[in-house]
Amino acid sequence: MSEFVRFWEILFVKLPTFLPYLLKGALVTLEITGATLVVAAVLGLGLALMRRARVPMVGALAATYIEVMRSVPVLTTLFVIYFGLAYLGVQLPSFVAAVIGLGMLGASYMAEIIRAGIEAVHQGQREAAVSLGMTPSQAMRFIVLPQALRVIVAPTANYTIGLLKDTAIVSTVAAPELLFAAKSLVSQTILPMQVYLLTASIYFVMSWPLARAARHLELRLSRGV
Amino acid sequence: MSAFIATYWESLALWLPPLMRAARVTLLVAALSIAVGAVVGLLLALLKMGGPRPLRKAASAYIEVTRGTPALAQLYIAYFGLASVGLTLDNVTATVVALGLNAAAYMAEIYRAGIESVHGGQREAAMSLGMTPARAMRFIVLPQAWRVVLPPGANLGIAVLKDTSLASAIATPELMSRAYDLVGQTWRPMHIYLLVALMYMAMCLPLAQIVRRLERGVKRSDVPASKAPGSVGWRQRATAA
Repeated sequence: MSEFVRFWEILFVKLPTFLPYLLKGALVTLEITGATLVVAAVLGLGLALMRRARVPMVGALAATYIEVMRSVPVLTTLFVIYFGLAYLGVQLPSFVAAVIGLGMLGASYMAEIIRAGIEAVHQGQREAAVSLGMTPSQAMRFIVLPQALRVIVAPTANYTIGLLKDTAIVSTVAAPELLFAAKSLVSQTILPMQVYLLTASIYFVMSWPLARAARHLELRLSRGV
Repeated sequence: MSAFIATYWESLALWLPPLMRAARVTLLVAALSIAVGAVVGLLLALLKMGGPRPLRKAASAYIEVTRGTPALAQLYIAYFGLASVGLTLDNVTATVVALGLNAAAYMAEIYRAGIESVHGGQREAAMSLGMTPARAMRFIVLPQAWRVVLPPGANLGIAVLKDTSLASAIATPELMSRAYDLVGQTWRPMHIYLLVALMYMAMCLPLAQIVRRLERGVKRSDVPASKAPGSVGWRQRATAA
């Protein structure tokens, strides 16, 4: 019993030094998440439009990319980008490699989310826009995509939660995010249980509000669709 | 480019056997983790839906916390954390425990969705025929929930298979870990990691194909699950009829 008390005692005493250190890492985690989300959304929109294009090969190319990305672990993609490219002479900073690696996988998820969103908009909307003299790309930009956004928001929030947790993986290429900070703290203090539990709590504190928001959005936006 | 490919010609025979052996470990670890996830997940789902109040709360909390934290952090807790408080697990056990308990939280939600998809009247009818709630669950509800559970469950299985790569961080001798060692020996990161990516694809793509067939089977909702396309022996039955 005294060991149990001692365990929490240590955590309590060390908290003022552990917490600021880990929170600095958490900030980088949020930065990586934000940057990756942008990359994934832009690439994903491109892929979604490619999949819908009526040009031969283009759709198949996008579909293949999505399939490949999803069947390879992020860690492997990350190592190809970080260590593999370095071997070919392109030494990326770990932050950049992290964003590209996570973003390439994220793009495949976002592509499917955006595609589902576009398909949820009634075909008549596009036809009406085109019949009013809009070009197909104008119709997509001003009529279809704004309406698709409603369907896209909730699954994107869900993807973001997954992404936030996946950023932990980039600690393996020494990107200075939360789990990496935790690892170096463990090697300094040799208190793995306390540090990793604290780290897990920080991840939870970041992801849980997002999860609640996603659930709320799902309920609200599903009304009237 | 040709030099790049030539390296494969020279070294593939050297690289492939250890990587194949490691891929077997990957499959084994994945299978064990999925099994743990499937069993514990069902337990969690049943507790969350119909357990006594404190257990219901505990199951919910477990699911929320596990789904809200990264699998890699959970691996570190299972391997380094537990060892520091006196419970030393070897790396394969730690991986199976961490990934299995992680999958259980996701599995629980999949089971819950499946069980809720079975019409309440089924359970009521079973109980009005004198079955206990447990028997109604076992013989009436779960067999019907199964077909809704299977496709997302199989998808989760693929995710677990890919997540086993995280176990390289605690030196579990699976594919990614072996690749890392091999890169250390040969300094050919691009070659080896691309090869490993291909090997993961070779394992995941057939599974994804199966999932797609299962999903198609569920969509035809008037077909009983036991006869749905993708279920065991459906082709034989279809041709016999």
